[in-house]
Amino acid sequence: MLEIRGHARGGQGMVTAFEILAKIFSKLGNFQVQAFPAFGVERTGAPIQAFLRVAKKEILNRSNIYHPHLIVVFDESLLDQVPVFDGLEETGAVLLNTERPAEAFAHLNRVVYTVPATRISLELGLGSKSLPIVNAAMIGALAKIFEVNLEAVQDAIRGNVPAKPEANMEAAAQALRSVRGPNGRNQYLIECLHASQPKANKKPESLHFDIPVEIDGLEAPAWSDPLSKSKTGNWRLITPSYDSRPAPCNSNCPAGTDVRGFVRLTSEKKYEEAYELISRHNPFPSICGRVCPNFCEQNCNRNELDRGVNIGAIERFLGDRAAKAGTEPAPVRHKERIAVIGSGPAGLTAALRLCEKGYDMTVFEALPVAGGMMRTGIPRFRLPDEVLGREIRRIEQKGVKIELNKKVTAEELDSRFDAIIAATGSHIGSPLRVEGEEFARDGINFLREFKLDNDADGLHKGQNVAIIGGGNTAIDVARTVLRLGAEPTIYYRRTIKEMPAIPQEVKEALLEGVKIEFLSAPVALAPAGPAQIALTLVKMEMGEPDESGRRRPVPVTGSERTILVDRVIKAIGQRPGLSAFGHHPVEPKQGYLELESGTSVFCAGDMAWGGTVAEAIGSGNKVAEEVHAYLRGHSYHEEETLPEVVLPKDINYSYYLPMARHYNKLHHSKQLAGDFSEVSRGMDEEEVVAETARCLHCGECFNCGNCYNFCPDAAIHLDEEGRLRIDYDYCKGCGICVQECPCSAMQFQLTEAVL
Amino acid sequence: MKKEKSQNGNGIALEEPLLKASKYPRHIQMVMKGNYAAAEAARLCRAGFIPAYPITPQTTIVERLSELVAEGKIDATYINMDSEHSVFAAAMGAAIGGERVFTATAGQGLFYAHEVLQAIAHFRLPMVVCNVGRPSIPWNIWSDQSDSLSQRDTGWIQFYGESSQEVLDTIIQAYVLTEKVRIPVLVVLDAFYQSHTSENVWVPGQNLVDRFLPPIQPGPMTLDIKHPRSFGGLLPPEHYNRMNYSFWKAMNEVENKAEEIATDFGAHFGRPYSNVEAVNIGPQTKLVLVTLSSITTTARGVIRDYPEIGLLKLRLFKPFPKEAVRRALAPLSGDALIAIVERNFLGDNEGAIMQEMKRALYGASYKMYDFFAGTGGKDVPPVTIEKIIHRAFHQPEEANWIDVG
Amino acid sequence: MKPALEFLIKDEKVYSGALSCRGCGWSLLVRHLASILGEDSVYVVPASCFSIISGPYPLSELKSNLVHTVFAAAPATATGVRAALDRQGKEDATVVILAGDGGTFDIGLQALSGAAARNENILYVVNNNGAYMNTGIQSSTATPYGAVTTTNPGKGFKRAWPKDLMGIIAAHNLPYAATASLAFLEDLRKKVEKAKNTRGFRLLMIDGPCPPGHKTDPAQSIHIGRMAVETRLFPLFEVERQHYTINYRPEKNIPVEECLKYQGRFKQLFKPENRQMIEEVQAHTDQYWVRLEALERM
Repeated sequence: MLEIRGHARGGQGMVTAFEILAKIFSKLGNFQVQAFPAFGVERTGAPIQAFLRVAKKEILNRSNIYHPHLIVVFDESLLDQVPVFDGLEETGAVLLNTERPAEAFAHLNRVVYTVPATRISLELGLGSKSLPIVNAAMIGALAKIFEVNLEAVQDAIRGNVPAKPEANMEAAAQALRSVRGPNGRNQYLIECLHASQPKANKKPESLHFDIPVEIDGLEAPAWSDPLSKSKTGNWRLITPSYDSRPAPCNSNCPAGTDVRGFVRLTSEKKYEEAYELISRHNPFPSICGRVCPNFCEQNCNRNELDRGVNIGAIERFLGDRAAKAGTEPAPVRHKERIAVIGSGPAGLTAALRLCEKGYDMTVFEALPVAGGMMRTGIPRFRLPDEVLGREIRRIEQKGVKIELNKKVTAEELDSRFDAIIAATGSHIGSPLRVEGEEFARDGINFLREFKLDNDADGLHKGQNVAIIGGGNTAIDVARTVLRLGAEPTIYYRRTIKEMPAIPQEVKEALLEGVKIEFLSAPVALAPAGPAQIALTLVKMEMGEPDESGRRRPVPVTGSERTILVDRVIKAIGQRPGLSAFGHHPVEPKQGYLELESGTSVFCAGDMAWGGTVAEAIGSGNKVAEEVHAYLRGHSYHEEETLPEVVLPKDINYSYYLPMARHYNKLHHSKQLAGDFSEVSRGMDEEEVVAETARCLHCGECFNCGNCYNFCPDAAIHLDEEGRLRIDYDYCKGCGICVQECPCSAMQFQLTEAVL
Repeated sequence: MKKEKSQNGNGIALEEPLLKASKYPRHIQMVMKGNYAAAEAARLCRAGFIPAYPITPQTTIVERLSELVAEGKIDATYINMDSEHSVFAAAMGAAIGGERVFTATAGQGLFYAHEVLQAIAHFRLPMVVCNVGRPSIPWNIWSDQSDSLSQRDTGWIQFYGESSQEVLDTIIQAYVLTEKVRIPVLVVLDAFYQSHTSENVWVPGQNLVDRFLPPIQPGPMTLDIKHPRSFGGLLPPEHYNRMNYSFWKAMNEVENKAEEIATDFGAHFGRPYSNVEAVNIGPQTKLVLVTLSSITTTARGVIRDYPEIGLLKLRLFKPFPKEAVRRALAPLSGDALIAIVERNFLGDNEGAIMQEMKRALYGASYKMYDFFAGTGGKDVPPVTIEKIIHRAFHQPEEANWIDVG
Repeated sequence: MKPALEFLIKDEKVYSGALSCRGCGWSLLVRHLASILGEDSVYVVPASCFSIISGPYPLSELKSNLVHTVFAAAPATATGVRAALDRQGKEDATVVILAGDGGTFDIGLQALSGAAARNENILYVVNNNGAYMNTGIQSSTATPYGAVTTTNPGKGFKRAWPKDLMGIIAAHNLPYAATASLAFLEDLRKKVEKAKNTRGFRLLMIDGPCPPGHKTDPAQSIHIGRMAVETRLFPLFEVERQHYTINYRPEKNIPVEECLKYQGRFKQLFKPENRQMIEEVQAHTDQYWVRLEALERM
């Protein structure tokens, strides 16, 4: 008589498998069979046992099997949890569901077969990762060991499995082919099968039946040992853990700012720490807090619920609050000297980072003031000079030298510096490419000249100014023109939806009285009279989407009209100025490039990528790392791909209530002409803290208590330091904590033993 | 007690004792129905929890108790339950809670409570319940012991009382026993022949009872708020086996304990009892009648005219008093007959008493005959007893039906 | 709803290691109940999954007394326990029944009605998971319309509506009865607290998740519970002496199928030939809500 014992988890189909095996043996070999489970607490995932006896003669034993000839383990994770090999005959064998080869179990000193039944079953869609239904595969593997014909096995499976007969049959076939272990017949098992008595089955140790003397007539069925002795963690197949994931605000910040982090610190009123955290990536929080398009807020997962968090206002508050404090210079620790051409956000950021690393840093600026586009391209009513000055001053305090009025080329600096960074920005306006182009002024120039020299191009009250474009420059020009007393009208060839300008700025401009004509494009400019320009415009309509999916504007035939204006200012984009590279033809790109002359230059800022302050800062951070690696002889590579960013699909919105967004206070004077004071006045502390409460904490635990409160197994505790801990002795791996984590700060992975 | 109640038949005790010179000191004599004797016993035993549900012919027991509670004559929590099943389940809860529990039922009620009987016994809870025997459907409310005898295997101790006096006395003894061995006790009386029969009863004074039956003490199954335990959850096979072993040990002691308590009761109250009673059993005895409950009394009357006939009354029935029965029959000669009177039919060739007697006398060579008489309340007058005697001597079969048709 | 933003259980009154399936509602429910009711409570448990979950000999999940009793008569056993405690001056100890839907809607209904009508000072908690789960998913009179169980298998899925237990209970004129969901823990805890502090017979009916019985992903247990409330399949309300209060009014009209679709036991309703049954469930659900609102106005 052959005796087999199986070990599996509730729900894996072992009891059915043994029943099917019994039918197979009975049919094929005309054997007497007996298959039965050890009845117990058959909870899904709980370790269970089943038994199978096969004999040529009547089976005269109905008890459990204590000394099996063959042990079949349906789930590898049981090996550490249950004494599966107890009582196994010395000459007996083991069949394990595992990816590992049979040799890995040499220490058992038994004949071992292995089969990757979990993989086979999952590939065929049988069960789930948390509970692979491996019974058909295990039957297939046993068929191999007993040399049972596959077709007979498949017949039995087809007739007896509750669902998916085809997949189960295929699982058996694949498993039969995948069994690893000794080749050829297992003579011992075959002998057992045909022996009339259980072969080598051990006799009981002794036949005594003493009854413990302490049992009296008053034993009560009442008990009180703590249930925690029952380590139900051994039911677990998938393991939850706390694991932070990047938030979209962080990952979408070109500067690399830990937005989620500073918002949290602000909510805790730890303003200094919050500022420090920003500074690690961004030396211009007061500026970004004012002028950034806020990629963070644009990608804020809260947009799905109501509106994104007003992160800009928070950042501005922190920057302004810290502005008064001075900073200590960084000691010079390296002998190398580094030059930066251009004192815009990219250049200054790169200079600051390298200065902090201990390099001697010199920034060369062609203009008489530092700040680059922040200085020349952004009007005061959006970014007051003193705000810019404060943040540049902090950089200088760190030890960065800025040489103004120094227009230099890389080659000039080559001999005096160990590394040169070019970050000269995009200052050259793009052409309109229409007839009479020369009658249009360039917007970016207009802004620069007005800011640096107070040169308003002679504009005065009552004049009509046509501005072509839809970006921030167009808006800034229009609002400047308005403050000069003239009447600006923006002509944009698409609709408000496509406008690249920051929507809030557009809103404010309209509020101030800027007129915008959408779906209008210039086709020709011509002088008209002594000082006026005849601007011919054509009506546009939105056509079919192009390859990028964006609908292109197309002119409406015959819709041309001509208007007379006093100025036309174009603001349709900029391109980089390349003077820093001398006469060499160069295609600027982020990081290292070598000029024809052999001079090495590192590029950063608008000329390399981007077009916003935040992008320039990010570019500066990056180039600093590259230069540092270059000088230290390290290899440089961009950061590895980040773990998956938390997206709306990962957020459990059930746990967040809609909350009104806080807006910056705006200042609109009744008499706009001549008023260049700042429009946005930010938010006060109370509003800022209230706004931080709107943060969803994407990817970061915020101690909401859900995992703890919802754990059915009382398996999550707070340790002495108040941190959440999962007690894996009791965690069954139901996954509720992961599912109910509002912000996706937990993950769920297959326990190692399974894969 | 109000006079008018006595007049309309619901009252029990007469206001004045019948006899001034008391046969039993510290007792008063009353004329009382068996059901009222049972209720009176519960009062004397200071039962603290009485769940109740009406069923003929038991109803007057719980009615009387409700009166006693309403009148403040007993400090008990009396609750009208929704069924006998609930009665027993509530009894179980209160017994775990440590209260002295009493209730009464009959026939269908006992059958309905069957699963709870098992639970109470295996929970090892002390309590005393009176059962007034009657059979099942087809509807029949008259005397029959099939109900209690069919519950022989639930693990309860069973006593059968012959008279109202014996019912009262047995209930008092039963509380002492149940609280000692922690096994519940069923005290059975016959429908109408006892339950509704008014007869002389000596009612002991409360002090006398209190000295014999001290207040209930917490036992191994008593709930303690400050020491929480789980009572009776899943008990795996090896532990279940162990619990049953413990129960078995306790059950094996019941026969001796019951006998001791019955003897003590005699010393204390002046009315000695024993587990079995042998009347006129000696070498000269040619036939012994074996009886339970009220038939015993009639049989006692009949055998006064038959000096060669003896009587064996079984008072303790479960666990079956094997040793006492063997001792009682030991004086018999080899050719003496044993005739068993069964007021039960349990679907077998033999009645319940015959089955138990055979078990008890395994290895002995008595000639035993079983006589079914009086099921479903059919009257068993002296002539029926005489027919049994006659039949036993002349044409006995192993099992015989008397007075059928 | 928002996260509790606190750890609701300050002191665990259960031991870890409950023998519940993954994602089971029983153990979560009892964790919260016990944390509110305290150790000086006596739990009375008829046959149910919790008979097993609470621990086989010699282990106990609860740090309180627990009396296991027969399937049909937990309220009766609790009556006895209550009486004993009261007689011993322990009126403050709460006697709590933990029963499943089978033990409540079916076999235990008579004893429940009896105890309720007597207004016993007992808290009755029914974990309604809509079938006899402990015996392997057989239909009870709480099993939802359209569900598959092992006794309403496949095409023979259940075509009778479940009993309105709350209606039956309300008819007993109880001091307090309420429905509660594990997805709405603060509401649930508030109700347990209220029930604890009310004298007389109190009943809480919990929507009990059961992954093996409902054929659901254990991780979804809470989410499905939430959807049951949001779709009004399981409205949250209280009944105090027949006065109804709806505790949660879903803002959106989410169709019932948004809850049913997660549950394998309703899979067949999504077959084209059975789709109209989802509409019937919707109509029944809507009608129940209308009725609840009308009762609330009374």
